[in-house]
Amino acid sequence: MRALVIDDSRAMRRIVSSTLENLGFEVNQAGHGGEGLDVLAGGWVPDLVTVDWNMPVMDGLQFVSAVRANPAWRAMTIMMVTSESEHTQIVRALAAGAHEYVIKPFTADALRDKLALLGLLPQEVAL
Amino acid sequence: MSTIDTGQRRRSGDSRPVIPELIDEATIRSIAEDAWIALVGEEEILLPIPGELPDDVLSSWVDVVGPWTGTVVLTTGRQTAAELTRALLGDSAPEPLEPEDVTDAFGEIANVVGGNVKAALPGPSALSLPEVGSAPAVRNPADVCRVDVLWRGEPLTISVQGALPPLPVPHPHENGESL
Repeated sequence: MRALVIDDSRAMRRIVSSTLENLGFEVNQAGHGGEGLDVLAGGWVPDLVTVDWNMPVMDGLQFVSAVRANPAWRAMTIMMVTSESEHTQIVRALAAGAHEYVIKPFTADALRDKLALLGLLPQEVAL
Repeated sequence: MSTIDTGQRRRSGDSRPVIPELIDEATIRSIAEDAWIALVGEEEILLPIPGELPDDVLSSWVDVVGPWTGTVVLTTGRQTAAELTRALLGDSAPEPLEPEDVTDAFGEIANVVGGNVKAALPGPSALSLPEVGSAPAVRNPADVCRVDVLWRGEPLTISVQGALPPLPVPHPHENGESL
């Protein structure tokens, strides 16, 4: 499985990527929503996108809306991974088309549990 | 004709809350502890003991704009900020660390702590992108909630501080009010 990790913090990209790689994902990274769209437009289409909310250039909500507007990318699962933890923000993200919402700080186990709920763990990890 | 000052008029016009009315030190400390465990490591403990900051400090902060407007500021020694960055990056920490690595990692910690402080405050509020450098000045000493901790024996402060100056103290004869 492939995952695209979008976060403006390199440290956070490394943390999320490392967790996903340990779960068997092939990971690509982007520093904001616009770079994420560039990766998708280049033909590298992942099974999962994790995306931060507050980023320069293009934020996570704009990215989710842009992806959902393109029928070719509708199969991708999008997970917001963000420190925005107000209920209204979570509702906005889900309404825009995100499938799941993880609030920073999170543990590797919490991320794994969310992926299991989404049916996105590689079989050997899920067993 | 005299008017008795019940405080009602002042209260209705001066409804801006200050941070000690909205959040306490224990909540801020709990938010920081959760961030440390998840980002820095499960064995990483913040001891609630004040320490004297060194002369060479670095701050990271995010702004919160909403019913309460202010800044969540983390401050520690520059060397401690670098150690924090190494702990955050683990095996992938470059050697030597570049200043951009510290800015990125220390800023992300402020982002995580600030985002969760924001969630504990009345909303809706907006959160800025993190900044790193010299801490913003305290504008109103009554609008500050500060937590002092030790991480690996080194002092670190978390200050939730209002961005707005104190409201003026009304005089009873202002606005045509009679004495």
